[in-house]
Amino acid sequence: MLRRIYRCVLRLHPPGFRRRFGDEILSIFDHTKGKLPAFQLLMDSVLSLIRQWVLRPGFWNVSVSAPAPQSALDGVPSFCTLNPFRPRAAAVVPGLILSMAVFSLTCVAIKYSWIRVLHVRIPEVQFEASRWIPPSATPSGFSGRIPGPVAENQAITPHIPNVPAQIPEAASRAASAPRTPLPVAARAQKDGALQPSASAQSKAHQSKAQEIGRSSTETDPQAAAAQSLTTTTPPALDELSSLDAAARHRVIDGAIAIVTKYYVDADVAQKMAIAIREHERNGDDNGATDGSTFAALLTRQMRDVSHDKYVAMIYSTVTTHEHSPAPTAEEVARYRKEMEKNNCTFEKITILPHNIGYLKFNSFPDASICGSTAAAAMARLNHVDAIIFDLRDNPGGYSNMVAVIAAYLFDRPTHLNDFYDRGENSREESWTLPPVPGNRLADKPAFVLTSSTTFSAAEGFSYDLKMLKRATLVGETTSGRGHMGAEHRIDDHFTIHVPGTRVINPISRTNWEGTGVEPDVKVKAASALRAAIDLAEAKLQRK
Amino acid sequence: MEDGLHSFLPLSPATLHILLSLAGEDLHGYGIMQEVARQSEGKYRLGPGTLYDNLQKLIQREWVEKLGRRAGDEDPRRRYYRLTLAGRRVLEAEIARLAEVVREARSRLQIARPAAKPRRA
Repeated sequence: MLRRIYRCVLRLHPPGFRRRFGDEILSIFDHTKGKLPAFQLLMDSVLSLIRQWVLRPGFWNVSVSAPAPQSALDGVPSFCTLNPFRPRAAAVVPGLILSMAVFSLTCVAIKYSWIRVLHVRIPEVQFEASRWIPPSATPSGFSGRIPGPVAENQAITPHIPNVPAQIPEAASRAASAPRTPLPVAARAQKDGALQPSASAQSKAHQSKAQEIGRSSTETDPQAAAAQSLTTTTPPALDELSSLDAAARHRVIDGAIAIVTKYYVDADVAQKMAIAIREHERNGDDNGATDGSTFAALLTRQMRDVSHDKYVAMIYSTVTTHEHSPAPTAEEVARYRKEMEKNNCTFEKITILPHNIGYLKFNSFPDASICGSTAAAAMARLNHVDAIIFDLRDNPGGYSNMVAVIAAYLFDRPTHLNDFYDRGENSREESWTLPPVPGNRLADKPAFVLTSSTTFSAAEGFSYDLKMLKRATLVGETTSGRGHMGAEHRIDDHFTIHVPGTRVINPISRTNWEGTGVEPDVKVKAASALRAAIDLAEAKLQRK
Repeated sequence: MEDGLHSFLPLSPATLHILLSLAGEDLHGYGIMQEVARQSEGKYRLGPGTLYDNLQKLIQREWVEKLGRRAGDEDPRRRYYRLTLAGRRVLEAEIARLAEVVREARSRLQIARPAAKPRRA
């Protein structure tokens, strides 16, 4: 064993020395008896190794007898190498095994490395090249999920599913948001918790399209949901509709079937089903002979047992059709135009004193439309020492934008959350995109400003960063919308909105539904910016 | 030429012992190590690393030449080394220098001896 080590050390000597004296030195070792002298020789060879490489560079390649230059046989110049060593044939096999092992290890390292060395990403191209997927795979409101590395190999072909399914809820909230309902929203098959599409649909039916987003009550999800019920049917048309017991029974059957299949919580779904059936048997519905009254009644009955203000029965006097699987090109173009007009709701991008970046954006718009705007905003803040995300007026939107913006805060793709779809019984993972080349924000302190109206995807962004301990949340407890709903058609006039998808954070194993996201530093929303700036400055001073 | 030789003096202990061991007869590396140990009565032991590092230097200076195998040797890997004329001259110069040092030292020590006694008032 000792001899083998001694031989290895000898082999590590410079070639000139090794060739001249290697055999002789080994012969001395072989003549040495006893373990201690052998060990002393080993130490001597280690010292010699260092001496030869460090102090004797002039002897590294000195050969005993320089090989005569090979003459060309036919006048063609030939090359000779300094080291004419040729491995023996048997050495080829271990060499091959070693090469394969190194190759395999390199491949594994590339695959699992945090820094995707082989991944070259051009954000603009990537966003434009994203593909459409059916909305059925994408509960919106907090929509457009990006499959994580587990779902797809995003290191090779990252993509952002492009599903403009609704008006960003900023439209109904922020002053800077679009003032007119978009057809995209009217066509949306699935909507967010705020039910903007239900609202937009009903309003579109009316001759006078109302502006959305101006009323302060619309900032309240409860009020918005209620509005979707009260404005579904103009009174004049209401009088024409009449429901008998059989018709009500059919609607209840449909509602029960959908609720029990899609509602996020199977037990609560069962309770709702039993409750509305019970009320029907008791004759509680007999007075509801018009559609809107019956829809409101069923909504109340379901909410009484579920305590879920986002369950809603919606009645429309005009025939509702099955939704088309994807928005038309025209709808997308309009959405794009609207977003361009509003700078994708990125309201303020600035650098505050002490090099603190401040980004206020009033929705999470579809990354396939607004990805380049987001990239430009983040690029502008790339050299800041701390960053503040202002989500106080952000009512959420698309999770693909959550993944885009969150990517700047990590140096590796990071698991944000999972989406559990009860109807599909499927679970999809949402990850941040791979690190943006040249990004410098991954290790900078981050702060998120929240308010009681921070909603849906904006809550998700806050919650995920809080769970990952990547940002300090400053402000108020958020709205508490951690489920995503979808509308399901019962018949030509009745649809039902059912929260069917639950966000599951991989760290907490739960979400913020009903409770909201608790900030780390609780202050009034109006004071949140000042508080965050103070915190950031204090943190930067400590560095 | 003499000036050239003197520029290498004094020799390092390893070089001196190696040249000295080869002054009598041609030896292989292991033989040199044993001879050095014998000359110094075991007080100075050369490891192979130091030995061959010095031999490399001595060969380059042409004070020692490498001979090759010797028929009938028990280990065919052994190579013998011989002191060249230049090497012998260097060794002689070093020995002369040392002799001078010894002579000087002896004379000094003899002079110094009475003075070393403590004086009494």
